[in-house]
Amino acid sequence: MTRHLGDDWVLPELSDLNRPFFTSGQVQVQVCDDCGVLQQPPDEICGSCQSTKLSFRATSGEGSIESVAVVHQAVHPALKDACPYAVVVVSLDDAPGVSVIGNVLNRDPGEVAIGQRVRACFETCPSADGEETLKIPQWEVV
Amino acid sequence: MKKQAVIAGVGESSYHVRGRSPDSEFQLACTAIRNAAEDAGIALADIDGFVSYNDQRNDPLRLARALGIRDLRWAVQSWAGGGNNAAHAVQMADAAVCAGYAENVVAFRALAQGQFGRFGQSRGGGRTMDGDMAWKAPYGLLSPAQECALHTARFMHDHGISQEALCDISLACYANAQRNPRAVRYGQPLDREKYHASRWIVEPFHLYDCCPENDGASAVVVTTAERARDLKSKPAAILACAQGLGPMYGSSAFQPRWIGRMYYDNVGRSLWERAGVGPDDVDVAQFYENFTGPVLISLCEMGFCKPDEVEAFVANGALEGPDARFPFNTSGGNIGEAYIHGFELVVEAARQIRGESTCQIADAELSLVVSGPGYAPGSALLLAKT
Repeated sequence: MTRHLGDDWVLPELSDLNRPFFTSGQVQVQVCDDCGVLQQPPDEICGSCQSTKLSFRATSGEGSIESVAVVHQAVHPALKDACPYAVVVVSLDDAPGVSVIGNVLNRDPGEVAIGQRVRACFETCPSADGEETLKIPQWEVV
Repeated sequence: MKKQAVIAGVGESSYHVRGRSPDSEFQLACTAIRNAAEDAGIALADIDGFVSYNDQRNDPLRLARALGIRDLRWAVQSWAGGGNNAAHAVQMADAAVCAGYAENVVAFRALAQGQFGRFGQSRGGGRTMDGDMAWKAPYGLLSPAQECALHTARFMHDHGISQEALCDISLACYANAQRNPRAVRYGQPLDREKYHASRWIVEPFHLYDCCPENDGASAVVVTTAERARDLKSKPAAILACAQGLGPMYGSSAFQPRWIGRMYYDNVGRSLWERAGVGPDDVDVAQFYENFTGPVLISLCEMGFCKPDEVEAFVANGALEGPDARFPFNTSGGNIGEAYIHGFELVVEAARQIRGESTCQIADAELSLVVSGPGYAPGSALLLAKT
């Protein structure tokens, strides 16, 4: 099994806004070419200066856990075997104001705690249409 | 000073466990509206406006036909989220009536989670998810409970709040529901041991931190104070309403940047400014509790206490019964009475002003509804004796 929640679990539908994050093998966040502000999730316009000149920037993939919720009850039948699992919000060291969502792969859910230092890892699998390779960012406590 | 509109009538269908309603959602909606019109003493045909929120099914064309509306002049819905807009539905009725666009506006919500989809369950089931869900679903972040759990866990961590504070919210809802024969949880008391023994849904939420899924409908009739003088029931004045968002905002209401918040600071600020009163003046409050945790956060953001005080604020039965230190969710709320997407809280707030609650507090002059902590934009409503 290459994916934490099961190889058949839902994949992101790729778009211009999320392709860098899900396929680059880096934790990339959106940056405004005009004012330099970072935003996540990406959008079609900069929320700070309203520029539409936006690109993506790789981060170090290192950060801290801002919050954790341990899911016990599957809200989809396909997740039954994956429970319990930990959903975390991670702030990135070199992308101030930006957080991303993920799972922690190398600890039991009950051992995941706010404030723990984490490093990105990636789940590699084909996209749903088989045309691209996904490298889905995930997290390991360091 | 705004013109004065009033809630002139309240009504509801019977409330049911999900899937147990003998009536369809649309029939439930019509029942609630008929009961509200009858309570106000206005003819159905004289209703000239409909307001709801997050409702794609019970549309005004169908309602107008079913209820024999002659002259519909106002039909609107709130944007975004879910139960966060229950108070805002009343605000839009208030705006229509005060501006003279309509005279007898019904605000309502009908919900049959047995007949239709369940909010707590994952939407879709396809191989991929797009838009906002593409950032969440691949990680198993799918439900409102899970998003609110992330906010609550951080809030508890930052302010040293224990599981007991969450338990106290649930216990208050259950205790008050035991006084209310309409409540789905009537006759099913809860105690602290049973709460802690219940299974986890998503930590930090036990089963009893989560509102149930129900079938039912509730409605109010909003009209002018002048017109209400000729009607039969006792009106509750709409002293102020507020809807708000930001500067903490989110895509699909959940923004990981603003973890541990409920986006209610500016809802409170606007409400108190418009009403000319403050949190200390409120006699009785109905707080939307899809889950217990968001109530703790919104109590703070609405100005009732500081985060490091909130555990003491809700402890030792402080929220239970008609003589509570802080009378709260007196009909049982979403958790104890029924989850009608928080609109049942509006009905209860009006009943407190009229002196007709099953958990009636003495001399209720100011009655508050805070709708939908957990999602944005938030809204709130303050009712007063006329």
